[in-house]
Amino acid sequence: MPVITLYRDRFNQYLGKELTTEEIAKWLPWLGTDIEDVGPDYVKVEYNPNRLDFSSHAGLARALKGLLGIEVGMPKYEARPSGIVLNIDPSVEKVRPYALAGVVRGLKLDDELVRELMDMQEDLHWGVCRDRRKAAIGLHNLDVLEPPFTYTTVGPETRFVPLDETREMSMVEILQEHKKGRAYAHLLSHTDRYPVMVDAKGRIFTFPPIINSELTRVTAETRNLFIDITGPSMDAVRNGLNILASALADMGGKLETVEVRYPDKTLISPDLTPQEMTLRTEYARELLGLELTDEDVVECLRKSRLDAWVKSEGVIGVRIPAYRIDILHEVDLVEEVALGYGFYRITPTRPVSTTSGRQHPTIKTMNCVRIIMVGLGFTEAVNFILTNEDVHYRMMRLPAGDAIRLANPASALYSITRTLLLPGLMQNLAVNRHESYPQRLFEVSDVVVRRDDAETRTERRVHVAAVSAHARANYTEIRSYLDALLRSLGLAEWSVSEATHPSFLEGRTAKIRINGEEVAVVGEIHPEVSNNFGLETPVAAFELDLEAVMKYISKD
Amino acid sequence: MELRTQDWKVLRAVRELGGRCLLRDVVDSSGLAHAAVARSVLALEEAGLLKVEERRRVDARLTEEGASYAADGLPERRLLDAVLRLGGEADLEAAAEEAGLSGDLLSIAVGWARRKGWAAVSEGRIRASTTRPPPRDEDEQLLRMLAGGGTVEVGTLEPSLREAAKRLERRGLLELEERTLRVLEITQAGLEALEAGPPKAEEITQLTPELIVSGAWRGVKLRKFDVKAPVPVVYPGRLHPVQQIINWIREIFLEMGFTEIRGPIVELAFWNFDALFQPQDHPAREMQDTFYLLEPNRGVLPREELVDAVAKTHENGWKTGSRGWGYRWSREEASKLVLRTHTTAVTIRYLSEHKEPPVWVFSVDRVYRNEKVDYKHLAEFHQIEGIIMDKGVTLRDLMGILTEFYRKMGLERVQFWPSYFPYTEPSMQSTVYVPELKAWVELCGMGLFRPEVLAPMGVKYPVLAWGGGLERLVMIKLGVDDIRELYRNRLSWIRRAPTCL
Repeated sequence: MPVITLYRDRFNQYLGKELTTEEIAKWLPWLGTDIEDVGPDYVKVEYNPNRLDFSSHAGLARALKGLLGIEVGMPKYEARPSGIVLNIDPSVEKVRPYALAGVVRGLKLDDELVRELMDMQEDLHWGVCRDRRKAAIGLHNLDVLEPPFTYTTVGPETRFVPLDETREMSMVEILQEHKKGRAYAHLLSHTDRYPVMVDAKGRIFTFPPIINSELTRVTAETRNLFIDITGPSMDAVRNGLNILASALADMGGKLETVEVRYPDKTLISPDLTPQEMTLRTEYARELLGLELTDEDVVECLRKSRLDAWVKSEGVIGVRIPAYRIDILHEVDLVEEVALGYGFYRITPTRPVSTTSGRQHPTIKTMNCVRIIMVGLGFTEAVNFILTNEDVHYRMMRLPAGDAIRLANPASALYSITRTLLLPGLMQNLAVNRHESYPQRLFEVSDVVVRRDDAETRTERRVHVAAVSAHARANYTEIRSYLDALLRSLGLAEWSVSEATHPSFLEGRTAKIRINGEEVAVVGEIHPEVSNNFGLETPVAAFELDLEAVMKYISKD
Repeated sequence: MELRTQDWKVLRAVRELGGRCLLRDVVDSSGLAHAAVARSVLALEEAGLLKVEERRRVDARLTEEGASYAADGLPERRLLDAVLRLGGEADLEAAAEEAGLSGDLLSIAVGWARRKGWAAVSEGRIRASTTRPPPRDEDEQLLRMLAGGGTVEVGTLEPSLREAAKRLERRGLLELEERTLRVLEITQAGLEALEAGPPKAEEITQLTPELIVSGAWRGVKLRKFDVKAPVPVVYPGRLHPVQQIINWIREIFLEMGFTEIRGPIVELAFWNFDALFQPQDHPAREMQDTFYLLEPNRGVLPREELVDAVAKTHENGWKTGSRGWGYRWSREEASKLVLRTHTTAVTIRYLSEHKEPPVWVFSVDRVYRNEKVDYKHLAEFHQIEGIIMDKGVTLRDLMGILTEFYRKMGLERVQFWPSYFPYTEPSMQSTVYVPELKAWVELCGMGLFRPEVLAPMGVKYPVLAWGGGLERLVMIKLGVDDIRELYRNRLSWIRRAPTCL
């Protein structure tokens, strides 16, 4: 989640009130942010990805002003025409089709503010632009450029001086050698024509979504800004621009519009026209459980920096500023009411339950197994369902089976989901090989197996497995335990037959069947398996498909 | 002192061995175990019936090399014999060959033959200093004495042999072992105790079924145990500590009237994300956060009507009154199989089939995130989730339910903050004061399900939902700092964790 460091003095300047860092840290959580750290003159604030308008001092101060009643209602932004035209060349359509722009004049920048603008741009690139996939933003020193501008495409050998470089580089060189080029080249892998913006003199000032030119670098001396934003998603392009333009206006800049001329239409950009919605007072009362009048709702919404008025009895008209890209539905306005009301004022009520609780039958049976196994002196282990083929198959002397394989594991330790519990218990014995013996462990838990006729192509099944490890562990002992478990579960009949199994010793292994269905394997673990796990003690073990047995156990 | 039969037998053995003997000899003559004799000796000494003296002694024994010389003769002796066989004088090489010596062994042989005055060497020739083999010297006598693996106490040897022992040890042919011996001597009181005869009743340590059945227990003496002595440690079988906490949370839910639900671990992206109004380009759906399946990798979407409603809600809001996300929804993306990232997938499945209020359900079950595992993060962990769908339930009710839920867990102080989750609105985060930590800790997130989630499922009443990670709670409860410890299943940890929480 994005984090912004708020400097107290700068924040208070925007807020128009002197708050201490403690007071800032006390109030901001009521806007839905988390305080990460409070320093002598700063507060580190984590905000949620739906509120990218919180990515600047100005944006957070704007919201807090409302909550504290310093300034309520929707902030108004005026934008006069700048007279600047941005032409959209048809060639961009297949490369990176959408672009919008804006102008901000008269900004008083300093080094701090330049850094904040860069941070904000990064947060927007992450949040709105999805790491530049949906859109990318550029900020430029307008005064070095000569309008009109054109958004067009160029070939791979076209050259300009990218930001932080002293020499001209070709587009291909930038993609292969420049740090940003390498990081984002994949976004242009579909094309050999590259998007750029050029000014009237034909100078390239940005190569989106990769890098700006050194020519238009923004410094503390920059006074007038040109904003470009381009991408394959018009929504992201518009949202990013609206948030950025509103924040720059709050920082004291004067917004001006750019005429963006597409082959088939002309857009005036930025377009900060507010969205209008209605909210039924009853809806807010129902969801929040607060006794609110129409007037209360209006007051709360205005504290959340929205315009609100009683449209007719029980219906509130709401105007939402363009930077609030998170409001999709009437329910979002209900939350704005709660925020304006103040979560700290809302008291809990207790709904009356008319239901009685019931355990899930499978989990009930699993708990029965736990009681039985603990009664037999076994200690429960809980292992991950995630495992790998080495432990699950090779170390158990099993041929590779059809466990579910993961497409993208972050760690080689987790490449499949288990189909058996025993390998996990063997790992547990390995971990405990320096502890005193006997060691008797069990697990009752899920495995995942394939089932082609299931909608998820898989099924989770509950198994029970147990191991007994000590100098005299053998088949007889573990069979006694398995018999005790089956008997205690209420089963009356099962058959035992000699079996072979790669993980177990020949002549000391049996399969258990109920009504002809194979439900368990029991025996002495093969010494090679023990060796694979670094064990020196005999191990006897069983694994039971509890899911298969459940239908024979009395139902609750 | 109350004399035990065994103590009396030891005392008797000492007297029979002349009143003064080694503890070892008592073991040999009495047939009692060494540990048993040692225990009796301690008791007898304490009672003043025996005097115990400790004596140190040094024993000598042959090394492997020494043993081979004991059999074949010392190298210097073999060299001298060879020279004598060759007429008392010979080329060194010829003598070595005759003696079967070479290399280091030859140098050793020459060195010692000269030192012992048996031969002289000059200009490559060796000359014996006598015409007849000299008698066995002390080194050889000692070797002979020890041949066959025996030992001898160095202190009992004649001075010249003691010197030989030192010499042979330096040559690595002998090893010396220092031991402590206990010499027992019976005292006057000991003799009197012996005269008094053996203890009358046969003393036993273990009551047996035979003794009880036959009534013979009346005639025996049961040895008194030192009831304060430490006893061996035994460990009970037990539940895994995490499972105990899971059951504890389940009990709280059940007491509050909630029904337990359970659903697939491998889940369709549709239920894990789409049905919860998470747009298909949402960062949480990316490969670095979610485990996708390689094989099988596609599942079957539910009934068309439901899929269509979800698709339209994403694209344009459908008839939910929402703007929607404004993108083209892909069936392909929704039919991908993932390891569920939250149990809310189970909840929404359940709600799609249970639309009549009241629905009070919960689960505590496994969920997955494709994360690098470290002391704070696991790729597989547990989520606690509670859901209420009922007529007229509100955000304030959600606060009330959570307050009660926490109170039942022993957490009395709760605060609620606004927050954000993609599928709830309004959303809240709760922090609780944990007395053990003396700190406020974030536990459950919560909210009301969005209309974009409920309408496609056909749910007409508000749904309160809350959830949080189980492991955090377990770590606080059990005082564990490294989350990985919870599933290592180290017996030393499981056995130490409190059973009664």
